[in-house]
Amino acid sequence: MTEEFKTSKTMDLKGLACPQPVIKVSKGIKEIEVGQVLEAITTDPGSLADFPAWARTSGNEIVKTDQESGLIRFFIKRLK
Amino acid sequence: MEEEKKKKLLGLFRSKLDRTTRAYLDVCTRCGICNDACFAYASVPKVEYTPVWRAEVVRKIYKRYFKRMGRVFPFLGRGTEIDEETMKQLYEAAYTCTGCRRCMMYCPFGIDTQAIQSIAKLLLIGNESAPEELSMLTDASIEKGKSLDLYKDSFIQGIRNLEKEVIAKWKGASDQIIPLDVEGANILYVALAGAHSIIPAASILNAAKENWTLSFFEAVNFGAFVGDPVKTQIIAKRIIDEAIRLKVNEVAICECGTAYRVMKHLVGKQPFAVSHVAEVMARYLKEGRIRVTKDRIKKPITYHDPCQSARNGGVIEEPRYVLQQLTSNFVEMTPGKEHNLCCGGGGGLVALENEEFREKTGKAKVNQIKETGAAIVATGCENCNTQLKFLSERCRIEVGVDFLTNLVANSLILE
Repeated sequence: MTEEFKTSKTMDLKGLACPQPVIKVSKGIKEIEVGQVLEAITTDPGSLADFPAWARTSGNEIVKTDQESGLIRFFIKRLK
Repeated sequence: MEEEKKKKLLGLFRSKLDRTTRAYLDVCTRCGICNDACFAYASVPKVEYTPVWRAEVVRKIYKRYFKRMGRVFPFLGRGTEIDEETMKQLYEAAYTCTGCRRCMMYCPFGIDTQAIQSIAKLLLIGNESAPEELSMLTDASIEKGKSLDLYKDSFIQGIRNLEKEVIAKWKGASDQIIPLDVEGANILYVALAGAHSIIPAASILNAAKENWTLSFFEAVNFGAFVGDPVKTQIIAKRIIDEAIRLKVNEVAICECGTAYRVMKHLVGKQPFAVSHVAEVMARYLKEGRIRVTKDRIKKPITYHDPCQSARNGGVIEEPRYVLQQLTSNFVEMTPGKEHNLCCGGGGGLVALENEEFREKTGKAKVNQIKETGAAIVATGCENCNTQLKFLSERCRIEVGVDFLTNLVANSLILE
């Protein structure tokens, strides 16, 4: 996979069940600076709807989503 | 605390004061029979973990502001002012209680601690001191309902990626392995976000040749965990609207106790039946629509009754029927069924940073499991499953924890 974004933090959330992936990402995003990008890797198909919904309510931006071999990678930019 | 905020909080308190709740707040004689019923107090005998102490934190506010003695002679009564210290006590009370309602089973007056703690939770929301995690998850669930079209395509893609795993368990042929958006389906199956909640159930529904469809929404209702009655209804309405749009006959809720209880008991009459997936599996087995290999697992299996689906939802015999088709070595927990001890993971507690609390207060549950001698604890709830796995690891008990659906799917006899 080609990384188009310089990620400041990567979170391995593979195998975690609901609602842990969203909870961990909401905490993880606070550990990077505004403007930086967090990469979150999950195996949870529900995250494909949950992460964008969380990003909209928390005021962050999902700049890219990749699905590859059962892995889902989100690149999330901290906006505030 | 500012007068304006105090006024707002008292308004929220008043909104909860129907006749039943007033009775719960008025009639307690502090007999203490409820104490030993609480999983937390049974594990760690601290007065703060007694149902009566938790209720008293709320009750003292009631006495100060809603009883004549407290209003006229506040210095004479046993009431408490609403201030920041009281809010801290409300948090301690509400978020060390799972709302399992076991105390209610033993209370001579049937006082519902969960109803009392729902006042505490509502005041915490008004004070903006409810757990951040639960508030965030509640808002994300509502947002998903508002903007489904934005996420629909990627969600469908994610579901299609799971289908290989379903086929691996169920080798039948079908155009749709995990059907979505099927108008006129018999069953709308509402799963949780994880694949573990979708794949085994899909295998079972397909093996039964059910005309079913998967919901776009997750079953869990974080609005109920955080204690926001308005948001609880908004989150449930996403599923209700989908069920009505698709004209399904039945909404089958996955292994999530709170989701089942909300949909079964807290959303009023709907034009569809509501069932727990354990009830669906029991029905298929009774009707011969699915068959399973008995005694694939030789070691003893016990069942942990999730408080919300068993004590509070009435799904008690069906999981046992399912397990008795899977094993000749089923052992009951003591006490069990509607008297089963809470595992300590419900009420949203399992989503919070409270591992030390959950480990200590899970001791009674751990002892109960050990006494069965079982090698596997089956359960029908995500929170219970997470908490029991956590206890199994932390307390080093050699017991596997599994979902009913997974046990059934792994034992399906495929035609």
